[in-house]
Amino acid sequence: MQTETLKKGRTMTVPGLAPLGRILRFLMRQPTSAFGLGVIGLLIFGAVFAPWLATHDPYAQDLANTLAPPGGGHWFGTDELGRDIWSRLVWGTRITLTIIALVTVVVGPIGLAVGTIAGYYGGKVDTVMMRITDIFLSFPSLILSLAFVAALGPSLSNAIIAIALTSWPPIARLARAETLTFRAEDYVSAARLQGASDARIILKSIVPMCLPSVLIRLTLNMATVILTAAGLGFLGLGAQPPLPEWGAMIATGRRYMIDSWWLVTFPGIAILCVSLAFNLVGDGLRDALDPKQMNRR
Amino acid sequence: MLTHSRTRGFARQVGTIAVTLVGLLILTFVIGRLMPADPVRAIVGEEATQDTYMQVYQELGLDRPLPVQFLMYLRDVVTGDFGTSIRTGQPVIHDIAAVMPATLELATLAILIGATLGITMGVIAAVKKDRWPDQLIRVISLAGHSMPIFWTGMIALLIFYAWLGWVGGGGRIDDYFIGLVPEVTHFILIDAALAGEWEVFWSALNHMILPASLLGYSSSAYITRMTRSFMLDQINQEYVTTARVKGLSVRQTIWRHAFLNIRVQLVTIVALAYGALLEGAVLIETVFSWPGFGQYLTSNLMIGDMNAVMTCVLLVGVIFIALNLLSDVLYRVFDPRTR
Amino acid sequence: MTYQARLRLTVAALALAATPVLADTPDNQLVVGFSMTNILTLDPAAITGKETVQVLANVYDGLVQLDPVNRSEVQPDLAERWDVAEDGMSITFHLREAEFASGNPVRAEDVVWSFKRLLTLNLAQASFLKTYGFSAEGADAAFAAPDERTVVVTLPQKVNPQLIIATLGIVGPGSVLDSVEVMEHEENGDLGAAWLAQQSAGSAAFVLQQWQSNNLVLLAENENFWGEKPAMRRIVWRHIPESQSQRLQLERHDLDIAFQLAPADLTALQTAEGVKIQTTPSAGFYYLAMSMADERFQDAKVREAMRYLIDYKGLNEAILPFYGTEHQRPISGGFFGLLEDPGYAFDPEKAKALLAEAGYPDGMDVTLRALSDDPFLNLATAMQATLAQGGVRAEVITGSGDQIYGAMRERKFEMLVGRGGGGQLPDPDSNMRALIYNPDNSAEARLTNFQGWRTSFYDEELNRLIDAAASEVDVEARRQMYADIQNRIDEVVPPILPFSEVVTSAGYRDDLEGFVVNPSWSTDLSTVSKNR
Repeated sequence: MQTETLKKGRTMTVPGLAPLGRILRFLMRQPTSAFGLGVIGLLIFGAVFAPWLATHDPYAQDLANTLAPPGGGHWFGTDELGRDIWSRLVWGTRITLTIIALVTVVVGPIGLAVGTIAGYYGGKVDTVMMRITDIFLSFPSLILSLAFVAALGPSLSNAIIAIALTSWPPIARLARAETLTFRAEDYVSAARLQGASDARIILKSIVPMCLPSVLIRLTLNMATVILTAAGLGFLGLGAQPPLPEWGAMIATGRRYMIDSWWLVTFPGIAILCVSLAFNLVGDGLRDALDPKQMNRR
Repeated sequence: MLTHSRTRGFARQVGTIAVTLVGLLILTFVIGRLMPADPVRAIVGEEATQDTYMQVYQELGLDRPLPVQFLMYLRDVVTGDFGTSIRTGQPVIHDIAAVMPATLELATLAILIGATLGITMGVIAAVKKDRWPDQLIRVISLAGHSMPIFWTGMIALLIFYAWLGWVGGGGRIDDYFIGLVPEVTHFILIDAALAGEWEVFWSALNHMILPASLLGYSSSAYITRMTRSFMLDQINQEYVTTARVKGLSVRQTIWRHAFLNIRVQLVTIVALAYGALLEGAVLIETVFSWPGFGQYLTSNLMIGDMNAVMTCVLLVGVIFIALNLLSDVLYRVFDPRTR
Repeated sequence: MTYQARLRLTVAALALAATPVLADTPDNQLVVGFSMTNILTLDPAAITGKETVQVLANVYDGLVQLDPVNRSEVQPDLAERWDVAEDGMSITFHLREAEFASGNPVRAEDVVWSFKRLLTLNLAQASFLKTYGFSAEGADAAFAAPDERTVVVTLPQKVNPQLIIATLGIVGPGSVLDSVEVMEHEENGDLGAAWLAQQSAGSAAFVLQQWQSNNLVLLAENENFWGEKPAMRRIVWRHIPESQSQRLQLERHDLDIAFQLAPADLTALQTAEGVKIQTTPSAGFYYLAMSMADERFQDAKVREAMRYLIDYKGLNEAILPFYGTEHQRPISGGFFGLLEDPGYAFDPEKAKALLAEAGYPDGMDVTLRALSDDPFLNLATAMQATLAQGGVRAEVITGSGDQIYGAMRERKFEMLVGRGGGGQLPDPDSNMRALIYNPDNSAEARLTNFQGWRTSFYDEELNRLIDAAASEVDVEARRQMYADIQNRIDEVVPPILPFSEVVTSAGYRDDLEGFVVNPSWSTDLSTVSKNR
């Protein structure tokens, strides 16, 4: 399901970067979001130390030892070409993190740019930009990504582009709402009086103020990014073989599912855990940003 | 009676929708032009001569500037011409009409399950806020939202069809029932019931229950969260306290007062969740060999059937806009404060 | 609906789901699982691929039909008998009394019209006849109907007449259409092509009732069938692209026949209760192809190097059981004139040496195309690894038939793992035409049905030998010619390297009787019955 599309119009406001530490402490106090943070920590750990954690080369085939069940030599068994599933899962964390990171790096600036410019100038600029945003918002992200990938050709990088193209609008809306509240602030007016250019004001005064809430919104978005990427991989439109992308692993493992359950089970659990972790953290963040909650605890 | 300001608001909304629709068309047009498929080759075939090729190329207007091509596309869409599918050789709109009922039937059953599940969990979570049922429901509903539905579908199919034999396998009904019931509404459950073919009806329900439950479960997270937050707003209000003081039981207070007050909001939420189901349907239809819209879209994506993909994407956009509009309208019509 | 009512409904639904259902398929219906991805039309003149042949074999009759067991034999179908002229240049077919599904009589005129239509439309299936010199212009001279029940085929060039008779037994080029019925539905002079894409006008045991793209094909009994009444009232062909789903449904009695089972599932089904497996040699080969439009592959040394970078044994044992059996000659097993396998083996050192000789001491970067289906994806991935050992760094490109074979038809590819190579017509000539023969290598010729043209391979000597062998009537002379051809192939290394011969394996319920898979794909289901 597509939270972005459904939640449009709801925004969150955070006063500057200072409370981030406080938010983190709040998250750690709750068992659910603490679990989420733990899983995300593991994911990052796995990606960083993949070469040491993996027991085999994730691409090394062993046609004599195909579809071996989980056991001593291969903790999670081997796939149809005799590749070690544990090692592929571990290396797959890098792909997952790459997708998340790249989408975030692309979506953040685009969303910020569109949102702050629309909010700062207002009027016709605002109307046009928000109308464009609304058009992109009127699709569930997977379907629009599917169409984009079909147009661009199936590959991991195109999947990332397609996901980015579909996930900037909520960020833009948020940034715009934030900008509207800061636009009238004294220091912005002061900067304007001193003759600072519009570009400078947006970059130096408005963007930093929007940053914290945009960062949090990006985190909330990550579970969706993971599921969309896995869905694309599953349909054969995302990462291409032999990349150990989890969705693609499920797609090929599906052909051996009845006899070799481990081919689909482990990548599936990996996707579920990571996406659940981001959702739990996101849910915790939502509570953390609700002032009533923060103060009461 | 409509007031003047209301009419104006309505007019503005219509204008907004018109602009959004044109934007949608631009977007689908761009996607269509980007697609690597050669629409001329699809029409004339492999063996055609260069002359025939160029003739069709010009007939399709591909030699004209892009804005002109877009206007031609706009004209076609307005006159209801969405082109012909390469795969089936049929008008795309005819194809979509043939596959849509399967998806709608699945999605409708799914939303019934999802709403029931979501509203129940949401109310309980609100009442037991911050206690263990709340935490448990949070995890359960978020898990539904976090599962890769294609994977859960495969595992569920393996367990409930292959091992336990409780439900039907892929497809809408057992294959040998196909084409035995007159198609009136194209919803198999309704058609079978109308024809009195209960065997077909059970077979269809048997095939539908698993994908619908999974879709419903995945959509329940959003409904749960919204229900919970609406209920919390209500519970914190004074009248609830008053009602309690008057001696009404907890259950009565919640269901008679608090729940009745949020039903309008819930309807709009469910309408939006219904649209979001389409996304899950794309993936789950692949797993359950469900001959619906999702499978039509993905199989045409794979072969680069441009007209079919453009129309599918356009349709999804229109459905989303329509559902957003519907939820707005519902809200205005039923909400006591705006009446 | 109230909340309570909704709850009750859900509970009822869940309760229902909990009742185990064991649904046998009915006695008079056959449910078949296969993949419909390649079915784009059901017009016999326009079809391509195995799946459409499987369906249409039960809808259209030919003059003759290919025997499912003795591959070089031909059995009567609409023609009761036939005579070959003494000079071998014409064949006279005598038709039986029969009706089309529409009730119209089957006349010699319909047969002649069908062949002319095939050549006029000039789509994929026409090439079967075009290779032997038939053409739209020469059709009037080649096909004649002296009376209602006699068809005379005059050969436009000297060809062994048995080849022509066998060709007319293939579903597609040999299919006989109801000309009256088809022409009633003609639009803009398309000879009924648009109508036939979705409808049928044949005389076999079944008629096409419904075709939904990527979903199902429904065949219903033909009430006017001239032969023995089939046991089945309907055949439901379901699009089930995943082998595992087909296997599950077969095991659970939801399917009677599963045509697209992967090796792993066939292996597992061998021990399954109530399921039988039939494996038959089929048409074509699995091959590694190179494009000689790419100048690197114009060097025979490079092509030869690739010959030693194929792990023949490994591929056939690990990936191809139930798909194919090891085979290196481009002539199908059991066909006339086949020599013993040359015994090529995986030898990366030899390949490296050959590449170095050709001027590629550091190997090369290539793209390797493959369908994203089984077994091609696995073959490509495995081959990527063995190629790498010889220094050939392959980037695997996967996609649909359109993207992969489409690129091949456009000659826009470097390397490709594919399947093909004739053999649908049980004669070595069909292998040679499909894989080696290329009468015109120019880009404009667009002889896309010849893999020789697709790979830009042109060898005048081989072309000449193939033509000569096709028309040779003396058996021993012909055998020697095919030996010469195979030796020359060994020497010049055409850019298509077969490593396995295709076999077909179908799984079916053990209560089916009379189910015989035809190696030429045209499996006749009218003889199938259920014995319960």
